[in-house]
Amino acid sequence: MNPSNLLSVALRFLAKLYPASKRWLHRFHGGVFPQYYKSLSATQPIRKAFIPEKLILPLEQPVGLPAETLVKVGERVKKNQLLAQASKDPQKALIVPVHAPTSGTVMAIQPMTLPHPSGLQDQCIVLQPDGLDEAIVNALEVDGSHPGSPEALKSTLLHAGIVGMGGAGFPTYAKIPNQRGKIHTLLINGAECEPFITCDDLLMQTRAQEIVQGALITAHALGASKIICGIETNKPEAIRAMQEAASNTPVEIRSVETVYPMGGQKQLTLELTGVEMPHKAHAVDLGLLMMNVATYAAIYRAVVHGEPLTSRLVTVSGLGLNKPFNIHALIGTPFSALAELAEPKVTLDYPLVMGGPMMGFQVQNNDVPVIKTTNCILANPPEPVAMQMPCIRCGECMQACPVNLLPQQMYWHTQAHEYDKVEKLNVFDCIECGCCSYVCPSHIPLVQYYRHAKSEIKAMHAEEKATELAKQRHEFKLARIEREKREREARLKAKKEAVKKEALAEESPSAKKPEATAKSAAEAARAAAAKRAAAQKQSQKSDDSNNPPIPPARLKAIEAAKKAAAQKAQQKNEESSASSKVNREPPKSEQDEKKPDAKSAAKAAAMKAAQKRTQAKKQASTESASEVTSAKKDARQRAIEAAKKRAAAKKAELQPMAEMETEQACSDSAFPQQADVKDNTTAATELTETTTSTPASEKETARRAAIKAAKEAVAKRKAASPSKTEQTENTATPKPDEDKRKKAIEAARNRAAQKRNAANESQQGDK
Amino acid sequence: MIEAVLIFLGLALLFGILLGYASVRFKVEGNPMADQIDKVLPQTQCGQCGYPGCRPYAEALANGEAEVNLCIPGGNEVMIEISEITGLEQKPMAEGAAEPKPKEVAFIDEDLCIGCVLCIKECPVDAILGATKQMHTVIEKECTGCEKCVPVCPVDCIEMRPVEVTTKNWKWPEPQTIQEGK
Ligand code: SF4
Ligand code: SF4
Ligand code: SF4
Ligand code: SF4
Repeated sequence: MNPSNLLSVALRFLAKLYPASKRWLHRFHGGVFPQYYKSLSATQPIRKAFIPEKLILPLEQPVGLPAETLVKVGERVKKNQLLAQASKDPQKALIVPVHAPTSGTVMAIQPMTLPHPSGLQDQCIVLQPDGLDEAIVNALEVDGSHPGSPEALKSTLLHAGIVGMGGAGFPTYAKIPNQRGKIHTLLINGAECEPFITCDDLLMQTRAQEIVQGALITAHALGASKIICGIETNKPEAIRAMQEAASNTPVEIRSVETVYPMGGQKQLTLELTGVEMPHKAHAVDLGLLMMNVATYAAIYRAVVHGEPLTSRLVTVSGLGLNKPFNIHALIGTPFSALAELAEPKVTLDYPLVMGGPMMGFQVQNNDVPVIKTTNCILANPPEPVAMQMPCIRCGECMQACPVNLLPQQMYWHTQAHEYDKVEKLNVFDCIECGCCSYVCPSHIPLVQYYRHAKSEIKAMHAEEKATELAKQRHEFKLARIEREKREREARLKAKKEAVKKEALAEESPSAKKPEATAKSAAEAARAAAAKRAAAQKQSQKSDDSNNPPIPPARLKAIEAAKKAAAQKAQQKNEESSASSKVNREPPKSEQDEKKPDAKSAAKAAAMKAAQKRTQAKKQASTESASEVTSAKKDARQRAIEAAKKRAAAKKAELQPMAEMETEQACSDSAFPQQADVKDNTTAATELTETTTSTPASEKETARRAAIKAAKEAVAKRKAASPSKTEQTENTATPKPDEDKRKKAIEAARNRAAQKRNAANESQQGDK
Repeated sequence: MIEAVLIFLGLALLFGILLGYASVRFKVEGNPMADQIDKVLPQTQCGQCGYPGCRPYAEALANGEAEVNLCIPGGNEVMIEISEITGLEQKPMAEGAAEPKPKEVAFIDEDLCIGCVLCIKECPVDAILGATKQMHTVIEKECTGCEKCVPVCPVDCIEMRPVEVTTKNWKWPEPQTIQEGK
């Protein structure tokens, strides 16, 4: 008997007095010793293959993006046929192809519940087996030779759809490094530490050769020199079988202590190599690569026989079953079908568990399919849950944690929603092994808290990223607008200056006018006219430059809208010029019009319109006065007159525009308040009232017509969609070139209304 | 006696020079408080605070010109953070603004869109994709859910839809906590 054996015997004796002393036998911190129940299924032979009535094949794996289907509903497929594949670069998107586990017909491609704790649905291929099990032999078209480079191996593994079968389900091809020689030690994980699960145990007993060969193939491709396999001492049969298969090969079989969670990647790595993986480091960077025994067996079958991964050994066990067993289950077999085979003691009206009792989760629907990571289907009848008590800060959890975390601290901070602190306590290093919950005397479901905290932290980081992106994009947009504005201004200025120069050249001969007031008025009018002309030219120009040659068939609506926008800008220009020169009109900004109060906005707009009208009149009168007083009626004067006329005409046109804008302001503000459409109508009415009280002019009629049209439009809309109140009020204007836009909008709106009505009807029909 | 005075004068001079140099050498550009506030704001750029974006609000806050409780998407949490940074007193959020709602993104009914580009102009983060007379669509990943594009659409084809829950963004629920006697 050598000293280490002596030590273990001594400790085993000591453990009777001091149970925690068993933890001295293994190298990692903590760990627990649960009751294993492994004999339930380990003593049974592997059950013969079974083809269920239907197979459900999720397109999405636990890790990575979903694959894209290659088959159609109703198509007949053979075993091993490729059903879905990545269309993008699979390396980046971590997409795993899906193969048919048996021959049959594609019944549907539809969302089905996934074996995921959320119970969410996702696209799945539903296959109806025909029982013939007609297979494509060597579907991957391999020649059986061992790949000599990591790339060759990776491509085979990708096409075979192999993922880590121990639990996480990370695509194996993505796990393997590209450079040969980067991995010096290959590790085989045969330490199946979770209670109840025996599928790896039985796989090692029955297919030891395949596992060892798979490891040799991988080591050959990667140039790894050492292969170590760790198997827990409670699987003596497996150890013997593996030792036999590994004789005369470089594979070293080591037995490791039976302690939960020995099968954890970091824990077993530490146990076998003495290397403790640093925080956030990947094993691959340290030259170590660990894979599960089932993964190695799958690699062997893919490389030598060209078989994609379409079935796996699954343990069907639990205290609620009469005949637990292990079976080579086809991927996609519903859980309930397998559980029924094991003769449940009572009807399975309780949720089954995927995985073991420590790390597994309850599925939301017992018909979820076996996926590549399903190692166990557990049917444990629900037990009364022990009442959760307050934490007594006993520190048991801390002593049990195999990762040396501070479970109790993380629990407190999670409860307080201080997720940043939880993250600082390295919650992402938590392997969710459940040791802490297992030992907690207060029965606190600690792991649930960490899972919750992890998803909250992940969401937090995603949000931070989105926020940063939004900020950048917003700043970019502001910069762009600023730049465009500068460019526009520069062009405008150039134009203005050119016009000014011309005007100056004309003005110099008639500089000495007797009537100073008349002159200033005339000047103001001229300057305004010049500006308008410049603006118009400008807008025309920008129109031209902005619109690449548009085919006539394209909607004219946009053009009209642009013109309207240009006119709006022009109007603003006018306003500013008028206010600066005549100093009659108080400076008015767009903001004022968009005041949240609908009524005040309407009033303000009306006032403005009235002001403008009076101002225009005044201008006209002063100008006429200047006309009378100035004896000469030269070319300049005529030009001014022409400009004036144009201005008047434009103002007449713009009046309805202003009205429209007011309307829009009303509706804009009415929208957030969810006010009735009525409000708009009343606002419009009020508008009419306020405006009619001002001195009537010949423009009045035009404006009235505009208001009427707007009102009609509102009424029409109201009739069209009586239920919908949040309709955007973009009213029609009587302007001829607005007509097309109006029509287009009206048409679109009608379409929308029709669609909505149809939807409503169908909804009602459904009810 | 005289040595002591000289020493202290010398020291005062030395430190004065040092401080003067430091204030020139390590001068902070911009307004650090505005930056800090801008960091805690949700960057929705919705303008519900009455400022044209998050940054202007942050600047107004830093200059002491704004209330701390104007950011509606940020809710109470952001209000508290702002008051911590600015040292201003906390204020309750306006009525009905306190309850946070699940994140939504804009969705454009592409059959109805007439391609008027109005929504593109409105979007503060350029999350809407489209061209004149072409149907428009929202880049979900970049939409901040500010709802600014909804009212401008003349045919009312934009609606806000909650972000779909998938296995990738699903969150483990928080366990039922027991009431601990404190
Ligand atoms: S084991 Fe439970 S009761 Fe003890 S410190 Fe940890 S959480 Fe608290
Ligand atoms: S679940 Fe996490 S915190 Fe708890 S013992 Fe395991 S690793 Fe430690
Ligand atoms: S798409 Fe609409 S809701 Fe989304 S960010 Fe842009 S304007 Fe806001
Ligand atoms: S505002 Fe509406 S109609 Fe116009 S482009 Fe946007 S989605 Fe299309």
